[in-house]
Amino acid sequence: MKNGTIYADNAATTKLDIDAFETMKRFLLEEYGNPSAKYSFSRSSSNAIKEARYKIAECIGAQANEIYFTSGGTEGNNWILKGMQYQDINKMHIITSCIEHHAILEVCHLLEEHGFTVTYLPVNKFGQVEPEVLKKAIRQDTVLVSIMLANNEVGTIQNIVEMTNIAHANNILFHTDAVQAVGHIPIDAKRLGVDFLTASAHKFNGCKGTGFVYVRDGVTTSSLLIGGAQEKGRRAGTENVAGIVAMSTALEKNCENMNKNIEHINEVVSVFLDELSKRGIDYIRNGAEVSLPGLVSVSFRNAESEMLLHRLDLKKICISMGAACDSKQTIVSHVLKAMQIKEDYVNGTIRVSFGKYNTINEAVIIAEAISDILK
Amino acid sequence: MKNRCVSCGIEGLSKDIIGINKKLLGTEVENFFCIECLAEYLDATVEELEEKIEEFKEQGCTLFK
Repeated sequence: MKNGTIYADNAATTKLDIDAFETMKRFLLEEYGNPSAKYSFSRSSSNAIKEARYKIAECIGAQANEIYFTSGGTEGNNWILKGMQYQDINKMHIITSCIEHHAILEVCHLLEEHGFTVTYLPVNKFGQVEPEVLKKAIRQDTVLVSIMLANNEVGTIQNIVEMTNIAHANNILFHTDAVQAVGHIPIDAKRLGVDFLTASAHKFNGCKGTGFVYVRDGVTTSSLLIGGAQEKGRRAGTENVAGIVAMSTALEKNCENMNKNIEHINEVVSVFLDELSKRGIDYIRNGAEVSLPGLVSVSFRNAESEMLLHRLDLKKICISMGAACDSKQTIVSHVLKAMQIKEDYVNGTIRVSFGKYNTINEAVIIAEAISDILK
Repeated sequence: MKNRCVSCGIEGLSKDIIGINKKLLGTEVENFFCIECLAEYLDATVEELEEKIEEFKEQGCTLFK
């Protein structure tokens, strides 16, 4: 990496896959026609989009006509949640969890200003939403349940299948923000049973500014962006052909190599945690046993996460933090707060997120660096 | 003395220097380094620390001027 940098913040974004990059170049420099144009020069662009849609659908167990291309996770989440305003005027209650990404929570707050009521489900100490708690929150006027598939701060994977069943038994739509999970764990939209699923390419080695939403066949949604017939009129705007092609290549490759990647990443994580323990570092790992490969949220006793982040940055190690200090107080993330992480540990929480390109040696270097800082 | 470098003894440490000490050594720290000694202690360069100070200022951190 550049200047010997160790990048261990793959939950924030990932390096573009080289094959994805090679595939997209052609659609930027040579075959750059607008896919909506009627001349033959544009045929390869429109065919590439068609092919990408099939590939992506196959990767998540969907049909091609259920995939809609977007600019990323934030747009996808905004689209589905804001669309609830047009579902049924008598159903203006949404259920979500208090550990969702801000692209869900802030849309919920906006919808509350527009007359919706929103129930924010609590989580247990592992960051799990308990299906029984969801069951109790359901009302006659509930239109949507939106629960993330895997949490971006601690990696906890939710029991989406059970919660979808509960929602559907009550004629309620179910959305999952799967931004952090797609391309990293096996996903089958049909098995999950969800009505909507949001994904973002740059989280799985695609490029930034591209994503997709799965909308189950037969489920209606309004359009967030209007003014064009693209995506069957559900998402107007000229398609980001290069980005879409890169996304499908990256996702296909990650899915093909998923077992191998998971095995490698688990080994890297194991070495990292062993190295911390070996050095006598007092830490707790946050999240559930069933969590995203590579995403390690660790809290160090009586430490400051911002200090750790900047000290590691000086050693050219990229990680992220779970609590930030200003001059007067420490602001703990909403996820860690909801999980009620022990008081003497929570301020020292960092997220180290390993990806397929990280090595065991890098895990050792990061653990050593943390140990040097804390001692 | 709070505004004297704990290593070289230089006096008159500015708000920015005390701020970067707190950011990189911990908010509870009571003894501070001058920027040269802090860079040496952290095995970093003065330029790297100055860049960090500017970033914190841009973020509006009140520990800095």
